[in-house]
Amino acid sequence: MRKKYFLFGCVAASILFFSVNLVADDQCVSCHTNVVGDKPSELFKHDIHFKKGISCADCHGGNSKMEEMEAAMNPKEGYKGVPKGDAISQSCARCHSDADKMKKYGSTLPTNQWNNLQTSAHGKLSTTGKEHIAQCITCHNAHGIVSVKSPESPVYPLNVVKTCTKCHSSATFMRTYNPSLPIDQGEKYRSSVHGVKNGKGDPKPAVCSSCHGSHDIRTSKDAKSSVYAVNLPGTCSKCHSDAQYMKEYKIPTNQYEKYAKSVHGVALLQKHDVGAPSCNSCHGNHGATPPGVESVSKVCGTCHALNADLFSASPHKKAFDDRKLPECETCHSNHEIVAATDKLIGVTTEAVCSRCHQENQNPKGYAVAKAMRQMVDSLDISGSAAITLVNEAEQKGMEVTDAKFKLRDAKQAHLQMRTMVHAFNEGKFREVVDKGMEATLFAKTEAKDAVDEYYFRRIGLGISTLIMSLLAIVLFVYIRRIEKKQAEER
Amino acid sequence: MKPTLKKLYAWVDERLELQDLIKFMAKKYVPVHSHSIWYYFGGVSLFLFIIQVVTGILLLMYYKGSEELAFESIQFIMSKVAFGWLIRSLHSWTANLFILTTMIHMFSVFFEKAYRKPRELTWLTGMLMLFLLLGFGFTGYLLPWNELAFFATKVGTEITGVVPIVGKPILQFMRGGDDVTGATLSRLFGFHVAVLPGIFTVLLGAHLLFVNRQGMSEPLHYAETPEKERKTMPFFPNFLLRDMLFWLIVLNVLAILAVFFPWELGTKADPFASAPAGIKPEWYFLFMFQTLKYIPAQIGFIDGEVLGVLVFGAAGFLWMMVPFWDRQSSRGERNRFINYIGLFVVMYIILFTIIGWLA
Repeated sequence: MRKKYFLFGCVAASILFFSVNLVADDQCVSCHTNVVGDKPSELFKHDIHFKKGISCADCHGGNSKMEEMEAAMNPKEGYKGVPKGDAISQSCARCHSDADKMKKYGSTLPTNQWNNLQTSAHGKLSTTGKEHIAQCITCHNAHGIVSVKSPESPVYPLNVVKTCTKCHSSATFMRTYNPSLPIDQGEKYRSSVHGVKNGKGDPKPAVCSSCHGSHDIRTSKDAKSSVYAVNLPGTCSKCHSDAQYMKEYKIPTNQYEKYAKSVHGVALLQKHDVGAPSCNSCHGNHGATPPGVESVSKVCGTCHALNADLFSASPHKKAFDDRKLPECETCHSNHEIVAATDKLIGVTTEAVCSRCHQENQNPKGYAVAKAMRQMVDSLDISGSAAITLVNEAEQKGMEVTDAKFKLRDAKQAHLQMRTMVHAFNEGKFREVVDKGMEATLFAKTEAKDAVDEYYFRRIGLGISTLIMSLLAIVLFVYIRRIEKKQAEER
Repeated sequence: MKPTLKKLYAWVDERLELQDLIKFMAKKYVPVHSHSIWYYFGGVSLFLFIIQVVTGILLLMYYKGSEELAFESIQFIMSKVAFGWLIRSLHSWTANLFILTTMIHMFSVFFEKAYRKPRELTWLTGMLMLFLLLGFGFTGYLLPWNELAFFATKVGTEITGVVPIVGKPILQFMRGGDDVTGATLSRLFGFHVAVLPGIFTVLLGAHLLFVNRQGMSEPLHYAETPEKERKTMPFFPNFLLRDMLFWLIVLNVLAILAVFFPWELGTKADPFASAPAGIKPEWYFLFMFQTLKYIPAQIGFIDGEVLGVLVFGAAGFLWMMVPFWDRQSSRGERNRFINYIGLFVVMYIILFTIIGWLA
């Protein structure tokens, strides 16, 4: 134990000795601390740069070795005073963009921060038009800069939200640059699962920079942004697919895998349809929370409005509420929502209805599900037959525009039927199916007539060719006869 | 002849004196020689003209010449009107065969030097009718208002526009404005069904009158044959019946084409859509179109396209005026130079049409 105290004492004495020596060597710090007594010099003593032997003069210019103020702060010695605007970040970049210099200080930090900042959303010109909106010191402070890993750093996970919201929660400030951008992100964040845990001192849940990046922040409409619709699932999955990282939170880590296979995921990630829902469409972004049983249908209903309305008015609503079943998710799943097919309806093993509607336990529901499936199958069979006939007529070169129009109607009825199923009302369902059946019947009749017409034309051509050939032969024989007669007369 | 028919004939003859007409026709003789086959192409062209008039009138009963309804009305004719598909296909196929047979007729007359004195006017009226036929083809092509026709008409009228001085006014007159629009459709429709048929009928009347007045032209070698060895056949009934036999065959070919290769309608023209790749004019304009594509953009001080159009114009004019500069043939002397020119033109048209078709 004594040995431990001795070692600790030695280390503390060494640090104190070197600090005093550094202060003594740097006349700027010495003077500003002892004579002027200003805050920046006080803060600088705790600054990581000061600890690495970087002097005030490295940013402010001048000669830190000179004791006389006039000599130390002489413009001839390169004294610049307090840098303003972009000169601040350029001062930082002199070292932080120079890999060799950074290596000398034993740093492993990247050296592209200044470049990234300039191309980021914060790199746009400020209202003065003379400088970028944000400088390094906007987030990292000026004189008391500590490592980002230090809990004292303004960009440490527990502090970063406060740092960002300094500007982003200020209506006055944000109005100057982007009046349409909300200013309640911080407030929402505090209500999110991420924010609540962060508020309790857990640095692991996502903070602003986890999703938006740090120096290279881009607007969400920028395709290079980590929060651009197509990139967002990947951004969330950085943490949420990392089983090790998520271990302590005891939630699944296969959401991305499932989502990527889902109808939404395929639309967004493969077809790049930015209108397709992403993680934030259901969970929210700054206020991200898992939707509860009650709100699942509301979330889905923001896009699938008609389906949600029909469901809410259906007999299933009460049944689901009584059993505390999530509405849409029960039949369609959540992250791995595959494209709904007609097979979902009915009483077969693939159908979802039969999960609850067993023949012996719920005969009425079973009968309705069975009848609905029969109607679906009838429409499918009739539609396929109509398409085959129309294609056949078209391949035969017949004009079948009207039939094709009706096929569109049939397709529309099929889509309507898929929506109407959410009313779980056999009568309404039949009405829609009947419309589709009527359209397919019309198309089939038109196409069949066209095919019959095709054969009629060929038969007609055969008969007319026969008649014309006969006529030609008769004419030929007649010509020969009269010419023979004329020759005899001569 | 059966007694009933005889009675009917006698009844009509009493009133219209048909016997005189038959006697008149029977007096007309057609020379018979190794090139007699070419005589039939004039008759078959006339037959095709009659088909065009009949089918055209039938189409007029349903066709609507406006930007909004033209395509739909053809669609209606093709799918709903009884035998509408047949009438439309016949009209389209006949148009093409008509131009083909007329061209064969024209070249046969050229190579036989049948244009020589005293048939200069017959040749002139024939050539004018051929130009009008090309006009019929051009104006009729846009009428279905489909995508191909729309862009082909755009390109076609643009070519007219490059002619110096008169080109631009002609282009605007044809289009009824700066661009191909519904106004162009109405205009070309008017030309197709009223202006061109009117002029064509007058020219056709004159052409037939000249042929009747002067009789069939005899080839130069036929004139050199001793009179005793010259063979002839009466125009009526021999030649007319042979003509009718040929017409029957052509009618059958047309019916086969209409049934097996119904004339396609394509998709409705969209003036705001970009032009589909590989826009080509109809086959009878293809050799000119292909030539213009090969001409460099600038030749000396003159624009290549302008030069091409002017050269074609001049060549067409010289061709039409051949009876007036080929004096040798008019004197009854052989002129091989004319044959070489004709052969070159035929080869050129065939070659460039094939290249254009394959391009």
